[in-house]
Amino acid sequence: MAFSIRVDGMNELVQKMQKLGENAAHIAAQGLYDGAGVVADKVSSAVQGIATEPFKYAKNGQKRKPSPEEKAIVMNARHGIARFRNTGVSVETSVGLQNAGYAQLGGKTVPIPKIANAINSGTSFMDKQPFMRKATSTAKAAAQAAIEKKITEEIEKYEL
Amino acid sequence: MPDEYTALVTALKGLTQGESPNTVKLPMAEDEWNTRPDTVSYGTVRLDFEVDALHGDNVKQYTAYEGSVDLYSLKRDGAGWVALITAALTDHCEGCWSLNSHQYERETGLFHWEWAFQVEE
Repeated sequence: MAFSIRVDGMNELVQKMQKLGENAAHIAAQGLYDGAGVVADKVSSAVQGIATEPFKYAKNGQKRKPSPEEKAIVMNARHGIARFRNTGVSVETSVGLQNAGYAQLGGKTVPIPKIANAINSGTSFMDKQPFMRKATSTAKAAAQAAIEKKITEEIEKYEL
Repeated sequence: MPDEYTALVTALKGLTQGESPNTVKLPMAEDEWNTRPDTVSYGTVRLDFEVDALHGDNVKQYTAYEGSVDLYSLKRDGAGWVALITAALTDHCEGCWSLNSHQYERETGLFHWEWAFQVEE
């Protein structure tokens, strides 16, 4: 499940940040933290919007919705911001359920990302509810605005 | 329904009319209808959600929607439909779609391709 939001452009800010030298990565990370928070909030609310129905076996080509137990597992799983990675030219992080761990479902131990992926992408017997794609696509503008705001604030501190 | 989406659905359904790469026809359905377990491959196309909108004069002037095309196939290579669907999407618009995921269902033995695309109204 890789849905990426890449923020580039912002030429004025980039020019200002070039003057900051070593502090640039630190400021970029602070901005990214705010932007990632916006996306993580969207993901949390999107998870709560998953439609469910009591568990049943899908037969004869019918499709089923996720059961309330499956939704509860995804809701209670850690879907937060991952450790920041400084690649030298950019600062990266990810929001999602990559390291969410395992859960007990129907007497089996199932990886939580697998449950989330089945709900998100749909399977041949489960309805598709693309909550991650919806969260990342709709949060893009808000995340970019949050990043710009935070970076502008931080740069002003250094200019004084 | 946006006109672009209607055109895309028509194009994808049109794939089944022409010469198919193997003898099995691909039933390309809109929304929740599918024809598993009779066929080797089947596909669905649907609009998922509204991405963004530009408002003016208190009404929506432009609205962007995101949708997805799903292909399920028992064959590892998608029985030739992957290239056809990719070509149909590229004909529709070159930069507005991407292969979102490719996965395998162990329970049913189906390979699953998922493309996401954006249309505008």
